[in-house]
Amino acid sequence: MVKNRFALSKIDTMLARMIGHSKGQFAAVLTIIILGIAIYTAMNMTSVNMYKTVDDYYEENGFPDLFLQTAAVPSQEAERLKEIDGVKQATGRVSMDVPMITDDENERVNLRLITTTGGEDELSRSTVLEGKMISQSGNEALLIEEFAKARGIGIGDEIRIQAGGVQRTLEITGIAANPEYIYLMENTQSMLPDAENFGVCYVSEKFGQQAAGLSGSFNEILIRYEEDADEEALIDDVEDALDIYGVKQTVKQEDQLSNSIINQELTQLKNMANSLPVLFVLVAGLILMMMLSRLVKKDRIKIGILKAIGYSNRQVLFHYVKYALVCGILGGAAGAVLGMALAGGMTRLYLEYFHIPLLRVEFYYSYLIYAILLSAVFCTVSGLIGARGALKISIAEAMHAESPKLGKRILLEKLPFFWKRLSFSSKMISKNIFRNKKRTIFVLAGISLTYAMMLFTATMPDVMNQLMNEHFKEFQRMDYNIGFRTPVLRDTVRDMEHLIEVDYIEGKLEYPFELTNGNKKQSVSIIGLDRDTKFYTFYNADGVQTEIPKRGMLITENLAKALNVGKGDLVRIKSYIPNRDDVYLQVKDVIKQTLGMNAYMDIRTMGETLLEKNVINGVYADSKDPDINEKLIRAANVASVMSVADTRAVYEEYMDMTNLSIGAMVIFSGILGFCIVYNATIVSLGEREMEFSSLRVLGFSKLEIFFMIVRENNIIMILGILLGIPVGNIMARYSSEAFSTDIYTIDMSPTFSALIMAGVYTVVFVFLAQLATYRKIKKLDFLQALKNRES
Amino acid sequence: MAILRAEHLSKDYQMGEVVVKALQDTSFEIREGEFVVILGPSGSGKSTLLNIIGGMDLPTSGKVFLRDEEITAYGDRELTEYRRNKVGFVFQFYNIMANLTAEENVELATEISKDPLPVGEILEAVGLSDRRNHFPAQMSGGEQQRVSIARAVAKNPEILLCDEPTGALDFNTGIAILGLLHKVNRDMGKTVIVITHNSDIAFMADRVIRMRSGRIIEDHINEKPIAVEDIKW
Repeated sequence: MVKNRFALSKIDTMLARMIGHSKGQFAAVLTIIILGIAIYTAMNMTSVNMYKTVDDYYEENGFPDLFLQTAAVPSQEAERLKEIDGVKQATGRVSMDVPMITDDENERVNLRLITTTGGEDELSRSTVLEGKMISQSGNEALLIEEFAKARGIGIGDEIRIQAGGVQRTLEITGIAANPEYIYLMENTQSMLPDAENFGVCYVSEKFGQQAAGLSGSFNEILIRYEEDADEEALIDDVEDALDIYGVKQTVKQEDQLSNSIINQELTQLKNMANSLPVLFVLVAGLILMMMLSRLVKKDRIKIGILKAIGYSNRQVLFHYVKYALVCGILGGAAGAVLGMALAGGMTRLYLEYFHIPLLRVEFYYSYLIYAILLSAVFCTVSGLIGARGALKISIAEAMHAESPKLGKRILLEKLPFFWKRLSFSSKMISKNIFRNKKRTIFVLAGISLTYAMMLFTATMPDVMNQLMNEHFKEFQRMDYNIGFRTPVLRDTVRDMEHLIEVDYIEGKLEYPFELTNGNKKQSVSIIGLDRDTKFYTFYNADGVQTEIPKRGMLITENLAKALNVGKGDLVRIKSYIPNRDDVYLQVKDVIKQTLGMNAYMDIRTMGETLLEKNVINGVYADSKDPDINEKLIRAANVASVMSVADTRAVYEEYMDMTNLSIGAMVIFSGILGFCIVYNATIVSLGEREMEFSSLRVLGFSKLEIFFMIVRENNIIMILGILLGIPVGNIMARYSSEAFSTDIYTIDMSPTFSALIMAGVYTVVFVFLAQLATYRKIKKLDFLQALKNRES
Repeated sequence: MAILRAEHLSKDYQMGEVVVKALQDTSFEIREGEFVVILGPSGSGKSTLLNIIGGMDLPTSGKVFLRDEEITAYGDRELTEYRRNKVGFVFQFYNIMANLTAEENVELATEISKDPLPVGEILEAVGLSDRRNHFPAQMSGGEQQRVSIARAVAKNPEILLCDEPTGALDFNTGIAILGLLHKVNRDMGKTVIVITHNSDIAFMADRVIRMRSGRIIEDHINEKPIAVEDIKW
């Protein structure tokens, strides 16, 4: 017999028709797999592309391994650092924050002036995107792209700054990007980038030194290591070498603000890329298992015949496993292709967010293979588990009608008081829920997972709001946080009261120090406050209000964790003031703080023990002065002004963007819930065809039968939602830890409104799934079902 | 020469706490090319016997030989091979695949057998040439049983095992099916074993084996088998 080599074998023809017959269910499983694999591919490729882009960018622009903020270090001293073991390259620069003068007198715009030589051997080189590099003479400047864009500043434009007590003009010759400001943030307190009010500007060494009053000196040292350098030893050596000039802060590459945010984002992306798809594929696998185990039961006679004809157990099993495998391969391939298509867009979206002038979008075809393999293997395993019943079917038994299952009383029947009060249809519904416990548990788990994901998603905006409120309303409550360029005497607070109209004002001391406990180190700002400060309220880890101690300090939870210290422990504070010994301070209490990592002390004690007596380097103020910014710009010693209102505005803008990803998550979770309920209902319909046919003969309408199923599903849905609350809580708690960083400490406890929102979303998707099953019920030929002996 | 030989076959089933003896010390021989009818009321053990000689079930004790091969000593793999190449089954409820056409149902079997007969010819022989592309739901019971016979015969087995092949059919269709089985026996030289409770069918057989309560109560050669058309019930 001549066979067409490309024709399907008959057993595969049966498979193809079986798929065609259950196309709704097949499509539902396929959708989940496609989504899961698309997310896997898109996120992984984006992650690889982003890591590679960032790495290449850092490499090409000489991103330093170590940043040191110092007092004035003579320029030749920077050169000498190269002699230290492990130092490959060392360069110095001047960096200072200055106010930019704009037409709107009441606007406060901070500009970070950083000097650059434009040389090829410089560390942290900028990439000129437009225009040209500055010359080393004159007042030319490069402006960081986002700031230039946000403010509409172009090449040839002039900007005015207030520096060194005088107004200076800078001419913009180029628009640039810099690896230190991929994520343009002013400091850890700023929380989010605000390109309109904070920018970076690169100027010549001469200009910078003059503006900062640091002629022939630098206040920042950048270092790159040899490949095999011992970082800790190197840092000690460098700090020793610069000790006589004063090291204010040492920042490792991993702690550099922009870099650490990018790393956190990319780590999150990577974690999501490997966890979210697993969830999807797991659900798809469970659905496949459920479908196939049902199919095998239904196909008992067919399996018997196949075996009687001479098909082996393996061939029969594989016939069903192929259903899953086809799902896996089709879903894997379609998902991988979709994912690859999305990866390019997603990488670009990330680059909108992070500003990197080069883009390495490469298609890693290996992911296509991984994705298909992952999905095929997972589906095959699910198929094997689901269809394994086919092995047990003996031919002799398969040829006879299956004996009816032993009827059992359900749990509720043992509660006669309750059971007697149920109507007939309620009794049937209860029995059906208990009839197939595995499937009920599956749907229950599916709905609780859907709800938990919805809850988690709905909680996000609340968490962000709470974070803002907790930090800016409950924890610290000032309208303005004003920083001075150099420390001044406490009495300056009175001068400030003359300068601006204030309702209330307090002095502050805020300096970065390196805190050490054993081999644990952390650079943080210690903030000195009046002991009776009205701007801060501290609560310790137990939720009890606490106050600034006369001696010792309060530290935030994340700092306590980073240093591995607790209440009563001593922490070494490394002074950056030349010739001053390190100081040991006792931790008096560990406090809660959602944003940032700090230590707090009495302002007087802090001055005496760590700096100088009676000094402040900033003030906190409540003020309704409409001209506050204008007045402060003119003040020579004012380095920074942070307004809480501005921070909130930036945050609200950012939330709009977040809402988009929340929408996507809601849809993903919804599809998951939809597919679970749809498939489970269809499987249950198939199983109970005879029962429904009998009900039809008894006079039940299709709609009544549909409502019976709806009521069953609704009960499971309500239980699922109730179960989803603790599951969502666990997810949230886990995420609180995962999302909490040195910068944020997130407490993701779901709020009441999130509980309600998640419930509404879940109900909508479950309702849609049920509506889709109604079509199937309408199409079921009940009378035919009664006549048929299945084969 | 005996194509099939059963020696002291017994089969016990455990039903809860009761042991049901479906077959008790059953022995018989069937010669090559015979048309055999195994007759008995329901519960007499005839289906159990068919399952065992068809390689679908194993006896509790005793042996079955196909020529000189002991099939009761076969493992799972050999039993599959045996069902695939040596025996063909025809069932009471046809049991053909609902989502395959008549021709595809036959091909389902020929695709895995070693020496199949041409599907087209077999379909023609069973009178289904013009129904080859119909699905079971588009065919009558008699036509479906013809597909079932075609599927069993097309594998070119040595023995055809038929379990109540007319049980679900009306008289005329039943007679037509028996005629077809007779044709397979006479024209193709296949040994055919029909299991039935319908004693009238026994008149067309070369050998009749009667069973009751798991035992053979009679095993005789029918000296004068009648023509299928003359059977009445």
